[in-house]
Amino acid sequence: MNQVDLVDFIDWSGVECLNQNSAHSIANALKQGYREDDGLNVESDADEQLLVYIPFLQVVKLHSLAVKGPEEEGPKTVKLYSNREHMGFSNVNDFPPSDTVEFSAENIQAGKPVVLKYVKFQNVRSVTIFIEDNQSGGDVTKVQKIAFFGTTVETTDMKGLKKIEDH
Amino acid sequence: MVLEATMICIDNSEWMRNGDYTPSRFQAQADAVNLICGAKTQSNPENTVGILTMAGKGVRVLTTPTTDLGKLLACMHGLEIGGELNIASAIQIAQLALKHRQNKNQRQRIIVFAGSPIKYDKKMLESIGKKLKKSSVSLDIVDFGEEDEGKPEKLEALLTAVNNNDSSHIVHIPPGPNALSDVLISTPVFTGDGEGGSGFVAAGPAAGGDYDFGVDPNIDPELALALRVSMEEERARQEAAAKRAAEVASSQNQGDEQSSKSQDTTMADTTGASAAVATDAAEPMSEVDALLQQAIALSMQTPASDSAVRDTDMSEANNEDQDLAAALQMSMQEGEKDSSGQMDMSEVLEDQAFVSSVLASLPGVDPNDPSVKDLLASLHGKSESSDQKKDEEKAAKDDEK
Repeated sequence: MNQVDLVDFIDWSGVECLNQNSAHSIANALKQGYREDDGLNVESDADEQLLVYIPFLQVVKLHSLAVKGPEEEGPKTVKLYSNREHMGFSNVNDFPPSDTVEFSAENIQAGKPVVLKYVKFQNVRSVTIFIEDNQSGGDVTKVQKIAFFGTTVETTDMKGLKKIEDH
Repeated sequence: MVLEATMICIDNSEWMRNGDYTPSRFQAQADAVNLICGAKTQSNPENTVGILTMAGKGVRVLTTPTTDLGKLLACMHGLEIGGELNIASAIQIAQLALKHRQNKNQRQRIIVFAGSPIKYDKKMLESIGKKLKKSSVSLDIVDFGEEDEGKPEKLEALLTAVNNNDSSHIVHIPPGPNALSDVLISTPVFTGDGEGGSGFVAAGPAAGGDYDFGVDPNIDPELALALRVSMEEERARQEAAAKRAAEVASSQNQGDEQSSKSQDTTMADTTGASAAVATDAAEPMSEVDALLQQAIALSMQTPASDSAVRDTDMSEANNEDQDLAAALQMSMQEGEKDSSGQMDMSEVLEDQAFVSSVLASLPGVDPNDPSVKDLLASLHGKSESSDQKKDEEKAAKDDEK
């Protein structure tokens, strides 16, 4: 099955980002068009951590995650929590993450997709991204792009369907 | 009308026994709290408010966020004064209470009544503020009561740590004759982020003081819109009427102005928006209408010096409504003085054959009647002198178009 960019399946009305700088909001990193622009990024506010909650319009399977950021302020440790609603910074350490990704400076700059533990993300209604720290350890974390790749569970993607040959 | 969950932190420490606010600090605070509860629940029916006490034996949550105003007011009874203020844990517990609110769509707000000295240092308060900001909780601080050195600065530091886009506020209220609640009403603590509070304060028949028509567009947008549209229509009508009156006055004697104006307005009322349209079409219609009124005038045997009033009035009346025009015409004649302006009639009257034919069709008018013939002749003779006035009127009507 082809992995598609799941940006079309994001339920924008429920997207939340805690500790974001209001001038640099999460839409800059998630929305089509905004995320391609490296000048537009989401920035953290009070400290370097960010907590992003993304609900999906339907159940999806997550295959990989692409995160792009500047070399210094880009995220380093990113923890993903599947199907946990309304987390806060206080309880983010109460559950084990579904997956943890450590980005190096090169791959955060390149923004190439990183494969996730597919088995943990088979039935995803919502995903929470906890950006724990950044590359340089400074007070502000900047993210230029966050993109999920995967497949949907319920609907079939017609382009992916192959014609079954008659025997 | 922001959907919000609020936790109010009450200071019930020993310092609240003081009487520098009437009747006592604690009472004044209680009144203010009651007012706030009312304001919040009224501004949005889904808003929830919770109360906790900060001093006493320890921080105690009296009610978790609820929409029930009765429960909140009941909580305020039977509170005991004692102990010391513990602002740090109070804010943290308030934050926890908000976190477990039923409706996750509500924004989070904490209101702190700081009436006694604060024993924590600035750094501690700032880190608390930062945590609140990270969780997007807004904080309102009411600084009253004990005037401690450094207290205002500490609270200001806390505010700057929390503040995100001016959603958090601080109010310093020195002791004085005004009640604590009265002073609070005018502050952003009540008015939220600049909205809603005035609606509560002016509750009752005079509600919606900020709004044009006493109707809150948030509550009733259709009604507000309808009121606004009808206001504008009325204004447009009156402007059109005023214009017509001005035009009439410029070509008329003073005496007729008043009657014409009143007639214009009554005409405007009866004919409505079509009046403006009718005025625009006045010029092409004027010939026919002038002819009509000339015929009527002759039948009434009045001096044929019809005023331009009648011209414009007739043209304003709908084409279809010529009976109405005739009736109005007659009623006008009673209050009218003779004028000498003849305007369009002259051009009509030039076509005597036309006139005679029309007159012949009218019952009771004999075109061969000498008086009628004399009248026609005299009118015709005046045609050259009235040409100038006619041109003026045409120019005025062109401008109006």
